[in-house]
Amino acid sequence: MKGYKKYYGQKIFWYFLTLIFAVILNFILPRLMPGNPVSALASKAVSGMTDSTAIQKVINDYAERFGINEPMYKQFFMWLGNALKGDFGVSFSQYPRPVSDIIAKAVWWTVCLQLPAIIVGWLLGNLLGAIAAYIKGVFDKAILPLFLFIGNIPAFGMATVLLFLFAIKLKIAPSSGGYGYDLIPSASWAFIKSIISHYQLPFWSIVLITIGGQAIGMRSMSIYELNADYVKYSRFLGIKDRKIVGYVFRNAMLPQITGLALSLGTMMGGALVAEMIFSYPGLGMTLLSAVNGQDYPLLSACTLIITIMVLIANLAVELLYGVIDPRVKANQMD
Amino acid sequence: MGKVMLEVKDLKTKYVTRFHEDVYAVDGVSLKVEEGKSLGIAGESGCGKSTLALSLMGYYFAPLHYISGDIIVDGQTISNMKPDDVRRKILGNEIAYIPQAAMNALNPTQKIIRFIEDVIHAHGIKMTKKEIYDMARERFAELGLPEEVLEKHAVELSGGMKQRTVIAISTILSPKVLIADEPSSALDVTSQKMVIRMMRQLMEKGYIKSMIFITHELPLLYNVTDDIAVMYAGQFVELGTAKEMVFDPVHPYAKGLMGSIIVPEEGMKAHELTALRGTPPNLKNPPKGCRFAPRCPYAVPTCTAMAPDEKEFENGRCYRCLMSVRKLREVYANGNESKPEPETEFD
Repeated sequence: MKGYKKYYGQKIFWYFLTLIFAVILNFILPRLMPGNPVSALASKAVSGMTDSTAIQKVINDYAERFGINEPMYKQFFMWLGNALKGDFGVSFSQYPRPVSDIIAKAVWWTVCLQLPAIIVGWLLGNLLGAIAAYIKGVFDKAILPLFLFIGNIPAFGMATVLLFLFAIKLKIAPSSGGYGYDLIPSASWAFIKSIISHYQLPFWSIVLITIGGQAIGMRSMSIYELNADYVKYSRFLGIKDRKIVGYVFRNAMLPQITGLALSLGTMMGGALVAEMIFSYPGLGMTLLSAVNGQDYPLLSACTLIITIMVLIANLAVELLYGVIDPRVKANQMD
Repeated sequence: MGKVMLEVKDLKTKYVTRFHEDVYAVDGVSLKVEEGKSLGIAGESGCGKSTLALSLMGYYFAPLHYISGDIIVDGQTISNMKPDDVRRKILGNEIAYIPQAAMNALNPTQKIIRFIEDVIHAHGIKMTKKEIYDMARERFAELGLPEEVLEKHAVELSGGMKQRTVIAISTILSPKVLIADEPSSALDVTSQKMVIRMMRQLMEKGYIKSMIFITHELPLLYNVTDDIAVMYAGQFVELGTAKEMVFDPVHPYAKGLMGSIIVPEEGMKAHELTALRGTPPNLKNPPKGCRFAPRCPYAVPTCTAMAPDEKEFENGRCYRCLMSVRKLREVYANGNESKPEPETEFD
């Protein structure tokens, strides 16, 4: 138990450190963009006004409200203090909607799309890899290479192909949005059906590109493990093949779990592209509109929430790893 | 004479390589091990010892293939049983195996006790987890292994401990025959001693009824086993009691092999260490005639033309050479100078 505590303690410490750096970068980078969005906002408010002192007053008022006159470090601590309270300020581009409100709406779309898609892709990939290693034949010679090919299509390419094929040519799936634009969110059947049909294309575009990469890794790990000494020994003790295959796949899975952690990070970025192409109302779309509107508070909050999500996912995977592989824990003991 | 636990008659197996070439690694081996007895198998690396160990299990998977011969365990012929039946009824239950590389023989992500549960359940034995734990704890204690091992993973055990754990797991169902393939080779001397002591305990307490011990360390065999067989190029060249084999080997290869060791016994001071020239032949196309002829210091032209059969002499000893025992002993007494004509008849 002590070993676990130390292992988890260290992991959490390093992730916390990573988070701090991520938060600092998240704050600074958008603010280094050229242009002053507050004056753009203020100028909208003062359009039609002719009194220059009044205009100046409005601009000053806005600048004060958004705190852009303060030095950067002061802005940072103000922002951090508010962020800890869950207040990310007011969006510039969707003024006066608070950022936390926009994020809270968008984040669930993203989580519900990406997490199942990545996990389903990962599971299918591992299954395919394991089958290719164990049964061989058509799985190893045809299906795996096909998915490897598909897996190398970039996210935006895959999304565009699916969009063209299923939404435009075959017209069996809607082309954009999270639900029908003529519907009002409710717990009705029509709404749920609409959500599900809008879910398909972005979901499968992520799943399809995930399978190949995971399968090829699982295949070679499985082949390696199938030839391990413990397999031969277990056979000679009369243990059934089904059980041995269980041992093999558990051991072959270990590097794949690291692979999952890594792909969660990289795929987050790629999968956001799928959201943009399908105009899915998640973080990807929000991020896109924040960049277009030079909306720092929203931009910072978006990237921060993505960072936190990736960190949490990675941490969860690593903690799980400590439970699954006793060697990891044993190495951390000394 | 005790009950015969393992009898092997003219067993032949081969490896099929990726290029579909046959390698006859075990080529006509016959042996008999009685209850309470152990047989050591010695030979150079590459002579087919480990393959023999695998072949004796009666369960074959690529690249090893069965050709012919009988394996009889306690009166039951297993060489003609269906592979699945062998696996379910015989392996681990009647014949147990200790692998050469016990370091990696245990699944790294499984606790020892879980593996023991799997072994027991694989043979259709109905026992609860608690019963298995109690049984394993008792057996481990008898063999001097700490109980904590059961709840550990393989990575948490030292090399020697891992090897002894593997031995304890292999014999958990009290098999009739234990086949140990170099169980002590990768260990330091202290761990080796513990392993050997454990094998002895297994025999004394009746957890195993007979044992085949394969090694390249001859002095070890002399101390551990009752009989010794010397293997060369997939065949036994000589078989006898440990004492006979160490002090009075007959076959030139056995002579050479035994000449290369020191046994802490009377009369060893006069012993001169000798080395064998050359390496064992490639078994893809073994030499015609006597397989040892190309390396044999006493070989004559007939040796490369005619393959010798296994012959019995003096109360159950066997050897495989064209020369008679009397002639061979004469040659050994005179040194290497004279090269007598081989006699094919038995003296």
